[in-house]
Amino acid sequence: MSLLDFLHEYDQSLLIALGEHLRLVGIALLIAVAAGVPIGAWIARDGHRAGPVLLAANIIQTIPSIALFGLMIPVLAIFNHGIGFLPAVIALILYAQLPVIRNTRVALRAIPPATLDAARGLGMTERQIFLRVALPLAAPGIVAGIRIAATMSIGVAAVAAYIGAGGLGIFIVRGIQTTWDMMTIAGAAGIALLTLFVEIALGIAQKMLTPKGLGVRGGGR
Amino acid sequence: MIEFIDVRKTYGGESAVNGVSLRVETGKLCVLLGPSGCGKTTLLRMANRLVEPTSGTIMIDGEDIMRSGPVELRRRIGYAIQSVGLFPHRTVAQNIATTPKLMGMATGKIAARIDELLAMMNLEPQRYRNRYPSQLSGGEAQRVGVARALAADPPLLLMDEPFGAIDPINRAEIREEFLALQRRLRKTILFVSHDIPEALFLADRIALMRSGKIEQVGTPQELIASPATDFVRRFFGGDRRMLLLETIRVAEMAIPAGTADTENAIAAESTLRDAMLALMSANGEHLGIRDGNGRMLGTITLGDIQRHVALTMRADGEPSR
Repeated sequence: MSLLDFLHEYDQSLLIALGEHLRLVGIALLIAVAAGVPIGAWIARDGHRAGPVLLAANIIQTIPSIALFGLMIPVLAIFNHGIGFLPAVIALILYAQLPVIRNTRVALRAIPPATLDAARGLGMTERQIFLRVALPLAAPGIVAGIRIAATMSIGVAAVAAYIGAGGLGIFIVRGIQTTWDMMTIAGAAGIALLTLFVEIALGIAQKMLTPKGLGVRGGGR
Repeated sequence: MIEFIDVRKTYGGESAVNGVSLRVETGKLCVLLGPSGCGKTTLLRMANRLVEPTSGTIMIDGEDIMRSGPVELRRRIGYAIQSVGLFPHRTVAQNIATTPKLMGMATGKIAARIDELLAMMNLEPQRYRNRYPSQLSGGEAQRVGVARALAADPPLLLMDEPFGAIDPINRAEIREEFLALQRRLRKTILFVSHDIPEALFLADRIALMRSGKIEQVGTPQELIASPATDFVRRFFGGDRRMLLLETIRVAEMAIPAGTADTENAIAAESTLRDAMLALMSANGEHLGIRDGNGRMLGTITLGDIQRHVALTMRADGEPSR
C-alpha cells in the first residue's frame, strides 16, 4: 500500500483526528493563556512572588507527560473523568504555564522604567498604563511564549492518545501496536506539519502584534 | 503657585526629605539643585503624588494636593523627566496627545495643539508629527518630552533633569530655547538639576539641597555672592566670581551712550561672562550692547564688569580680597 493509497483510504479518520488534535490543543492553549498571562503579569510586579510561581511551573515541566497523565487518572476518576479529553486538557494547560508565565514576566520587565514612570506622571490610571503602554510593548514577547507553548502542546497532545483523548497520536499508537509503519508515519508527519503550520502562523501574529515604532530605525534627520 | 510646608519623606527609618518648606511663586522657575541623593527628585515627585509624603503639606494654588486623587492631580501638572520616557510604540503626535486625550479634549483641538507645540519646540510639525521615538535624536526626543509635558497647558510643570541626557552643545541650545519659551509662557516650574551652569542660567530662584534639607533658597546671585552656609560656599566652588558673571545679563548694566562699533555688539541677553570673553578678544575697550531688534542699548567695559562683581560680592557681605 502506497502513502497515497493510505491517505485516500484513511482521509476521513485523519481529518477527524486532526480536528480532535486541534480542539485539544486550541482549548488548552486558550485557557493556558487566559491563566498564564495574568499570572505572569502578577509576578512581574514583585520579585518575591516570582520565585515560588516559577519554581512550581518548572517542577511541572520536569514531569514526563506520560507520568502526568498517569498521575491524573486516579484523581480525576473521582469525577468519572479519569481518562479522555479532560485529563489531556489539564495536562496541556499545566505544561503551557511555564513558557507563557515566564515570557510574560520577562517581556513586561523589559519595558524601561522611565516609560512607565512617564505614563504614571502624565496621569494614566494603573489600568490604562497596563492596557495602553505595558501590554502593547510586551505583546511580541508574550506571543513568543505562546508560540513555544503551542508547538510544545501539539507534541504532548500526541501522547494523550494513550489516555483516550484522540487526536493524531492515535495513528502513532495504533501504528506501533500493529507494527504498521505507514500508520505511524502518517500520524507523525501530520503532527510535524501541524506544528510547522502553527509555528508559522503564530510567527506572523507575533510580527503583526509588534508595535510599529519598535521596528523602525533611522529614517529621519 | 506651589508651596511645601514642612514636608518629610522617610523610607523605613531613612529620611529622604527631612522637613522642607519651599514656595514657588506663580510664573517662576525654581531649580532644586544639589548633589545626588540630596532628596531633590523625591521632593519633586511628591508634588504630583508619585511619592506620597510621610508628613507635611503641599499646596498648589492654595489647595492641599491630598484633596484630589493622584491621577486627576497628575493630569493637571506637566511632567518631564531625564530619560524622557516617550512611548516607543506611539508616534510623536500620539505621545504629545497623551494627557489631552486622557482629559477628553476633542480630537480636532488636540491635532491643532500638537502642531502648535511642535512649532514651539522648533520641530517642524509636518516632518516630526508621524515619527516614532526611535527615529528621533536625543535632543529631538527631549523636545518632544517637553512638548508632551506642556500639552494640556498646565499652569505647573515638574521637570526632572529634562535636558540631562543630551550632549553639552545641544543641551546649551535647548536650554536657551527653553528659557525663551518660559519667558513667554510664564509657567510655574519646579526643575531638578545637579548642573550648576544650568541652574544659574534657568533659575529665578535656586533651592540648594543637601541630605534632605534645603541649605539656602535665593536668586542665583544671592547664593553665589552671599552663601548662607559653608556647604553652599563649597558647592559653588572656587570659581564663584566666574559663576557670578554667568548670573548677570549685560542688559542690567548697559551704560547708555558711549561709542562702540556696532559690528561686534553683543546681545542684551548675554551674560557678563560672554561680555568679558568678547571684550578680551575685541580691539576696542568698549563693547556695544544691542537688543533683539539690533538697536544699540549702550556699552560695557572690562572695568564696568570688574566694579560690578566687586560691588555685588561686597554688598552681600563677602569680603572682597
